[in-house]
Amino acid sequence: MADSGHLALIHGEIDGELDGRQRAELASALLADPEAQALREDLRRVCAALDALEGVDPPPQLRRSILDALPQSTSSRARSWWSAPRLRYAALIAGVLAAGTIVYETLDGPRPAASDVAGTMAAAGALTSVDTVRLGNGVVSGRVSLYRDRAGLGLEFELVASAPVDVLVASDGHTLRVNGLGMRDAPGGPRTAVALRGFGSSGEAVDVTFLMAGHEVGRATLRAPKDR
Amino acid sequence: MKEDDDATLVRRCREGDRAAFERLVVRYQKPVFNAALRLLRDSDDARDVAQTTFLKVFEHIGDYDPSFKFYSWIYRIAVNESLNALGARKPCEGFNGEEPDAAPGPDRQLEGEQTGQAIEEALMRIKPELRAVVVLRHFMHLSYQDMGDILLLPEKTVKSRLYSARQLLRDRLLQGGAI
Repeated sequence: MADSGHLALIHGEIDGELDGRQRAELASALLADPEAQALREDLRRVCAALDALEGVDPPPQLRRSILDALPQSTSSRARSWWSAPRLRYAALIAGVLAAGTIVYETLDGPRPAASDVAGTMAAAGALTSVDTVRLGNGVVSGRVSLYRDRAGLGLEFELVASAPVDVLVASDGHTLRVNGLGMRDAPGGPRTAVALRGFGSSGEAVDVTFLMAGHEVGRATLRAPKDR
Repeated sequence: MKEDDDATLVRRCREGDRAAFERLVVRYQKPVFNAALRLLRDSDDARDVAQTTFLKVFEHIGDYDPSFKFYSWIYRIAVNESLNALGARKPCEGFNGEEPDAAPGPDRQLEGEQTGQAIEEALMRIKPELRAVVVLRHFMHLSYQDMGDILLLPEKTVKSRLYSARQLLRDRLLQGGAI
């Protein structure tokens, strides 16, 4: 069986990505390995078949149906207020505060007052990340980072999805739910920071479950190094 | 891709020019519809995804960052909408394993050749995130970098998924005697 290096060369050749040295390396590997040669021929046939699939004309009424469905208000109205820097920053702050109000503990652990929660939304630039998981399962993309600041641990989400994503956070018997992340048009943008007040400060795994319309669409586990 | 033209049309859209938006629809309706069709294999669902994609573009064009390619943005919306539509068919389908065989539908008629049908069927049996890279590479003819921009993935991950997808397709087509 072709090794991973030779496999990468075969795929690179199909994609036209190889330089002269790599082509020579592949040629010599293929001469020495008939299985790799057969695999290369198979993959070339698969890719040729994929490339041969022709595009389909969209339904003739598609354009009309799109245009008929457009709202009467134009996007320039949205842009004009959003693009004003002072209003943009005001909206950003309002968004962060609004996001704070949807953070609540669902099981044991103290339920914070709204004012406490709002205060836990950390400023994105002032965080020290201790662990990060990138998400790219095709439904939810972006990353979630575990950070530590003077108040303890927190999570920062930077998600992109085309439907609202709810997040369940669980660690050491505490749980927390954050609703409505991942929307590009959220007032605060795609980045949201949430303090894990009442959670352990280090060592325990922090399990994060991503839900869309009530269904799990992803999962991540983050861990902070133990305090010395 | 005519990025300058896109940029001009987008700017005019942001100024409220609906004719400019219509030109974007004309330009992108076929690739958006085809991306959705290849991901969903159902022309009604693909039409719905295309419509939703353009409505989202219209609604959010004020948020679009012109420093990025417009087609990356619209294809990202289309891919995400398609994956959401797949999720609505069967919740969480494809996240823990391969999909079951897709039931033959009217879209089978879209591709007459046997190998083409076999390829389409094999595509529907791999995970949606793998299918997405195949669609972007082989149907949209995008570079690794553009694919990474659309899927918000590093190029290395894009390549890894593409290679895995091709090898799964090869295995399935060999099993079915299609290649």
